[in-house]
Amino acid sequence: MTARPPVPTPFRSSASPPRAAGEVWRFRSLIGHLMVRNLKVKYQRSVLGFLWTLLNPLATVAVLIVVFTHIVRIPVVDYWAFLLSGYFAWNFMYQVLTSAPLVLREHAALHRSVAFPPESSLLAAAGSRLVEFAVELGIALVLLVAFHHRAVPASYALLPVLVILQVLIAVGLALGIATVAAFYADIQHVIPILALMLFYVSPVFYPAALVPETARHLYAANPMAGMLTLYHNVLYEGAFPSASLLATTTLAAVVVWSAGYAIFNRHKPVFAELV
Amino acid sequence: MPSSIATSRSLPSSSERPATVSAVRCRGVVKRFYRYEHRTTSLREFFVRAVTRRPQYRRSAEFSLMGFDLTVGCGEAVALIGPNGSGKSTALRLIAGIYAPSEGVVETAGRVTAVIELGSGFHPELTGAENVRLYGALLGFDPAALASRQAAITAFADIGGFIDEPVKYYSSGMQARLAFSVAVCADPDVLLLDEALAVGDQAFRDRCLARLRELREAGKTLVVASHDPVMVRTLCDRAVWLDHGRVRMMGPVHDVLAAYEADTRRSQERP
Repeated sequence: MTARPPVPTPFRSSASPPRAAGEVWRFRSLIGHLMVRNLKVKYQRSVLGFLWTLLNPLATVAVLIVVFTHIVRIPVVDYWAFLLSGYFAWNFMYQVLTSAPLVLREHAALHRSVAFPPESSLLAAAGSRLVEFAVELGIALVLLVAFHHRAVPASYALLPVLVILQVLIAVGLALGIATVAAFYADIQHVIPILALMLFYVSPVFYPAALVPETARHLYAANPMAGMLTLYHNVLYEGAFPSASLLATTTLAAVVVWSAGYAIFNRHKPVFAELV
Repeated sequence: MPSSIATSRSLPSSSERPATVSAVRCRGVVKRFYRYEHRTTSLREFFVRAVTRRPQYRRSAEFSLMGFDLTVGCGEAVALIGPNGSGKSTALRLIAGIYAPSEGVVETAGRVTAVIELGSGFHPELTGAENVRLYGALLGFDPAALASRQAAITAFADIGGFIDEPVKYYSSGMQARLAFSVAVCADPDVLLLDEALAVGDQAFRDRCLARLRELREAGKTLVVASHDPVMVRTLCDRAVWLDHGRVRMMGPVHDVLAAYEADTRRSQERP
């Protein structure tokens, strides 16, 4: 046998797995591709295509507005504006949480045949939801500015911070849920029930101010409540939220994200065998 | 939560590296899978067992590989042969980094590309070209490197206008051709093939074999799991015969294949 050129790259060893957190960065273009794939596949075969991403939540919003301004009257000025300011953030959260138990299994063929960081598929799933959320939020902003504030409130500058908090909470929870789902498929039946409960104990269609004084502390333990109240402050009231609410929600988001990522990282070497 | 991996690994020090350059090294690799005989299924049982400190599950280990040692030099071609369930695919997945070893160390040098479950990663609703881009990203290519390879991949697959059709309209042969093209055009340093040439027509197989020989001449390393004695003979220098997760024989490809075929014949004669 003739002499072979030496391989320049250093040994990669199973003792130092390639799937460390930093590896995700190398696969950032993969996350982009998976995001595009998710959106393409979802809307490809429908005539209205991407419009569906708007029609579905807008229909829900329309129903909620009718119900809570004409039947069950919620004492809020411009109720439609109040609902629009938080509903889409909630919808993003709901979509990410309910799809989390299924994502790894949807990508099972890929995880079994190629070595890549398994969080890529979860991040891509959240990313494609974020694209849909951005479009929904764009519509909400136009309506709020044009018919509610009739000006652009200074508080809107905080919006990127709120979106980051929302993504941290959603992805943190999704990573934890996906890990449990890899071992126990039961979780996919549990999450929709929990998500429905979360809808009622979070200020989505009513303001947190309606919650009785005695239950406030318990109510605030739900990080979603803080996040949605921030949205109501910033988008609906056009006011800057209290520093303490912003701080506690940020802390909660960081804790949720770190815990979810830690659980996921601990178990991810076996995902390829389980899904 | 049960984790089906018991990790006992040690980092190799750089002084342990051999003088001759090797591309793949497996040392004492054990891969255990577990079969669960009992698992806690209800919350009530979970708490009862937690309080009484009884285990939440009872399981038995199924070995897929038991003490697998293999060193493949740069530019070498090694075949893994053996009956179904002997651990060939598991060995390839361990080398590819898809599975983590239960014990032992797997080391690889350079870019490792695996063709396992050929084309199973393709999304049926996307076109061939879109799938190629997705696969390229999976293999860790940046967009520029991928764009420059797209033409080569399309040319090698040679499936004509189908490249812009959704993959669900492909025949299994066309899917295999496309998947194989992605892998060989990915310019891997180590190429792992799992039954990759079982499909495709004769002309395409000949082209694949020619391409694999080219890769070898360029100093690339091949590890092939195959039942096809012709391909193994023409392509590989060495063979490893796996039997129930153990290496039964390792050596020059002709000797190992002859022994394996003789053994298969013997077991067919006495039912």
